[in-house]
Amino acid sequence: MTNYFYVAPEQLIRDRAEFAQKGIARGRSIVGAIFDNGVVLVAENPSASLFKISEIYDRIAFAGVGKYNEFDRLREAGIRWADSTGFTYSRGDVDVRALANFYAQHLGDMFTEGQKPLEVEILVAQLGNSTRPTKLYRIAYEGTISDEPRFAVLGGDAETIKSRFAASEDSLESLTTTLKNAVGALAGPDRTIEVSDLEVGILEDRGSRRTFTRLHDAQVSELLR
Amino acid sequence: MGLPLFSASDDPGPSFFHFAQMSGLTPPVSSANVPSAHATTVIAVRYNGGVVMVGDRQASGNYIASRDVRKIEPADHYTAIAISGTAARGFEFIRMAQLSFEHYEKMTDTALTLEGKANYLSPIIQRNNLTSPLMVLPLLAGWDSAAQVGRIFEYDGAGGCYERFDFSTIGSGTPFAEGTLRLGFNTDLDQDGAIELGALAMYEAGDNDPSTGGPDFVRGLFPMIVTISSEGFRELDSDDVAERFRIINQRRTESGGVAGGSLR
Repeated sequence: MTNYFYVAPEQLIRDRAEFAQKGIARGRSIVGAIFDNGVVLVAENPSASLFKISEIYDRIAFAGVGKYNEFDRLREAGIRWADSTGFTYSRGDVDVRALANFYAQHLGDMFTEGQKPLEVEILVAQLGNSTRPTKLYRIAYEGTISDEPRFAVLGGDAETIKSRFAASEDSLESLTTTLKNAVGALAGPDRTIEVSDLEVGILEDRGSRRTFTRLHDAQVSELLR
Repeated sequence: MGLPLFSASDDPGPSFFHFAQMSGLTPPVSSANVPSAHATTVIAVRYNGGVVMVGDRQASGNYIASRDVRKIEPADHYTAIAISGTAARGFEFIRMAQLSFEHYEKMTDTALTLEGKANYLSPIIQRNNLTSPLMVLPLLAGWDSAAQVGRIFEYDGAGGCYERFDFSTIGSGTPFAEGTLRLGFNTDLDQDGAIELGALAMYEAGDNDPSTGGPDFVRGLFPMIVTISSEGFRELDSDDVAERFRIINQRRTESGGVAGGSLR
């Protein structure tokens, strides 16, 4: 016969939250920020092929921290959701808020009902146009969704990085300034991050339908000069 | 639709078509005999720097259903896809192909090779054509950036994919267009030569095939001409196209409608 011990729900939630936070804190952080002409996502990522930042749709990008296999599955689900929504209705009907809500629901479900909570935090960004606003939604491991007005920081050291970035940012700046600030905030005062360890993706209108670009090391060095 | 998550064992992978089938996005195939408009002649000609494609603009059933249909579309930056057969299915097919290539690229962060794209379309054509009378026969042309050549892939009704090294035509105007292409093709055509040959072949198809719309000088509607080269997909602007057909028409008017055995 199996014995079940009573665990108070408060304790259960605390334990799960602690478990998820620990997993997330192991990885490096990500900064997503709106600049005067688009959105830039910056990750510290020593791998040049296991990406943390990717394209979801024409004007939507994704960034994830924590366990790679878990957020990559969410990224794939996001692409499938966006492509099938655009296929069923029209490209203009794919909106980031609906996607952010689905992510929040899924993360919330996994937190309360799953075998274990997902050890991820994700950011979905939308580049605005005449009909939609530019948006940054941060979704935490337990499904909390927050609408970030100018920038968002994900990952273990989020609060420290956030305060460093907040200090440097007053209004929307150019891509160069925003990227420098983001990299500075990620690195902190005592450290510099090699360009090869940076992953940078931007959403910017350049006259074509798809607005996401992954910046090469050379482009990043040029911007950081 | 909710968030489409799959376990590792039944994940459809980067193929949008398989995902669409699993989630019921593709309509069920039926053998009901639905009358529908057909899209007709498209020509692809290989030249030394890529491929030229020419497509007529007419969709017809028992009467002309539309005069300004676009039967050639970019599937992505380096690939063009053209359709003949049932218009409704054809346009759905183009949408599916466009989305599938982009979907694969986003999912895997690598673009499909041209041959990969050509093979990917085979089972989609097979599924459509073997289960429904609403046939679709597409034509795929692209710039192969690995081999640095333009390549043409044609399909048979059962989805078989065949590479053509000279030219290819699809649709009911094929016999007339093909005759012109056979006589006019040579292996060192340049872009302008290929455009001229393709336009002439389209003129012949429009002249003899009632389902192919040739140049329409009354409405100012002309077949569309595109090139696929190292610079990607480019559509010739309509003034340029109009001028090329006007010249052909002028010559043919002067000869009293006789092609005269020479390619003009």
